[in-house]
Amino acid sequence: MKTVDIVERIEGEAKLNCTWKDGIISDARIDFLNFRGFEYILEGKSPLDALIYTPRICGICGQAHLKATVDALENVYENIGEKLEVTQKAKLLRQIGLNIEIIDSHIKWFYLFIMPDIIKLDSNDLGIYEPLKGQRWLEACKTASETIKSLAIIGGQWPHSSYMLPGGVVSDPTLMDLVNMQNYLHYALVFFEKSIAGISLENYLSFDSVNNIEKLNSDMKCFKDLCLKHNLQNFGKSYNRFITLGETNLFKNGKIKIKLVNKIDLTKVSENSYFTFSMIEKENNDKKHTWSKSVSYNDNIYETGPLARAITSNRKFIKDIHKNYADSVFTRVMSRLDELAYLIDDTKSLISKINIKEDSFIKPKIILSEIEKASAISVVEATRGSLYHKINIEKGKIKSYDVITPTVWNLGPVYKKQKGIAQNAMIGLPSIEIAKIVLRSFDVCSVCTTH
Amino acid sequence: MMNQSKPTIVWFQAITCNGNTHSLLSSNSNRFELFLNSFNLIYHPSLTINNSLEYILENQKEIDFLLVEGSISSNEFIFSISNDSSKNLLEKLALRSKYIIAVGSCASFGGIHAKFTQNDDICGIKEALENNNLQTLIHPIINLSGCPVHPEWIFQTLFSLKTFGKIDLDEVGRPKELYSTLAHHGCTRNEYFEWKVEGNFGQKEGCLFYNQGCRGPMTHSSCNKILWNEISSKTRVGMPCIGCTETDFPRNNMLETKKNMGIPQEVPLGISKRAYLSISGVAKTFKIDRLHKKLME
Repeated sequence: MKTVDIVERIEGEAKLNCTWKDGIISDARIDFLNFRGFEYILEGKSPLDALIYTPRICGICGQAHLKATVDALENVYENIGEKLEVTQKAKLLRQIGLNIEIIDSHIKWFYLFIMPDIIKLDSNDLGIYEPLKGQRWLEACKTASETIKSLAIIGGQWPHSSYMLPGGVVSDPTLMDLVNMQNYLHYALVFFEKSIAGISLENYLSFDSVNNIEKLNSDMKCFKDLCLKHNLQNFGKSYNRFITLGETNLFKNGKIKIKLVNKIDLTKVSENSYFTFSMIEKENNDKKHTWSKSVSYNDNIYETGPLARAITSNRKFIKDIHKNYADSVFTRVMSRLDELAYLIDDTKSLISKINIKEDSFIKPKIILSEIEKASAISVVEATRGSLYHKINIEKGKIKSYDVITPTVWNLGPVYKKQKGIAQNAMIGLPSIEIAKIVLRSFDVCSVCTTH
Repeated sequence: MMNQSKPTIVWFQAITCNGNTHSLLSSNSNRFELFLNSFNLIYHPSLTINNSLEYILENQKEIDFLLVEGSISSNEFIFSISNDSSKNLLEKLALRSKYIIAVGSCASFGGIHAKFTQNDDICGIKEALENNNLQTLIHPIINLSGCPVHPEWIFQTLFSLKTFGKIDLDEVGRPKELYSTLAHHGCTRNEYFEWKVEGNFGQKEGCLFYNQGCRGPMTHSSCNKILWNEISSKTRVGMPCIGCTETDFPRNNMLETKKNMGIPQEVPLGISKRAYLSISGVAKTFKIDRLHKKLME
């Protein structure tokens, strides 16, 4: 038997094709059928305009694209022997902005995109989690919209600010601005303590063992209880291989197939289009079924995202949950919430490190439109995992621009003979409801996957 | 007649980054709740849980407000939603709607996505619907341009239509009340503009019109009147306006000012070049100390 389901209430839409044998999924395929051609759009544009274009690849992770573009452009300078000086203040303001966007996204994702589905396994009465009506759903939206103000103080607006540019950032916050940023971020902290974990952040951050899940209250407890009741700690397992390309003060890069190696060689990242539609008509054939490409590192595919980051960065609580429940739905969702706690804590500390006396921006001596030929790569840790940008400049214009989003790692099709990460995670599942939850556990952004 | 107590809203996403949805979710929470209590949002692909787009197409015969996010194409191979092209779906929904509102520049004028020229039929909804006889429509199509749209612009438009049934539009379909002023109006850097004090990136002082490409004096929007995320705006923090509410967005070289002999090629809207040059020349002869100093040392 085969089933085809359109999955909504993700970022965009996905088509889930399942093959069933004796009531169990024996094969699954995910199609993303919406292509927007950003890499084509960027061809021939002025390099600085990429700062305006790439954030608009995605309405929820635009700042990650912005940071990837600015890093790529600064790497261009470095590659032509003209490394730019960027102050610590500018670097902090960039990382803070990106962190706030991830905090906003993790909160919205949990309440808008997965919690209603988990509750539904148990009851049709969604209660406080009911979209548009439930008290907690509304509180989550409120918290996200208050928290994101912290980014608007330095970005001017969210979504779609382009406040970072080669040489620094456009804004020059005052001390009171920084205090306001802390205040808005405080909404996320209070919401985490009161509604998400039901315990103090300090207490939560001391967790180092799977047994600590018993100390959780509020929504994480509710989530945990439902997971264990419906076996979500056993569903959604894939290859148990992880990769983190980018590095921050919170995240360590690295990969783990059997043993963790905290070293990444970006030349080993490669894209494959065997199952991906092409704009060139004669390249299309009946094997092609999605606009998503697949991506590999050294010929292997890996899962990226909050779970991967917790593993490569050696965060103890999640590592111990992972030891017990592997790469299941339960572990994946817990990693995202765990990351939220660490990001709130980290971002508060980053804001306190800003020295307002430093420059926000130091003007580059050479302008990009005068560069004859250069190329550069950047990697950034975005909400859903590692984001890769590669720019080629020729005669002062963008010759080509390649974007590999986190969701390509997780949701892409078969690579050589290896089934995609999410695809593999769905094999053996007992129902379409569970299959959709497994798909959701990757935080699906169809918009980014195809871009 | 419109359902007076709680008019129905269908939010349709076509070729989009979902940025307008996230702008909506970043609105003031009291306003957002008032909106949810005053209208019946029966379908939004990211928010509602009970109805799929397929269900709406089959069962919802009348829609009071159709909100469209994203640009439109008839090409189903490149972009399909629920097994159909965005254009077919738009038509099916539009033919049963009383009001149609484009939320964001992509739905209004094609926006960023219309730059994907390999698929050359991407456009805004007005153009996509021009051959349809929209008999249920009781108001011209409304364009709430902006990349993204401001959530207040959506709320104020919807509440005004709910109350008065009609609003005045400018020549490109935008509500006059929201788009008759310029992004420049209310910019905290206005005094620097008046006295022609040039700015730089990364500074609180100076005007971004002269070198950084700011389109504030040429762009219809209320960005500095109805602030972003309630507290901020691009130009206030030091990012030039990129003219995202206008029909020609995105333009080329958006972060620099095109100049001839040191003078901006484009001058503020409706001001003759001669008038602009005369007043600039005069303003520049006065060196106002206060405006050339840091605001705070």
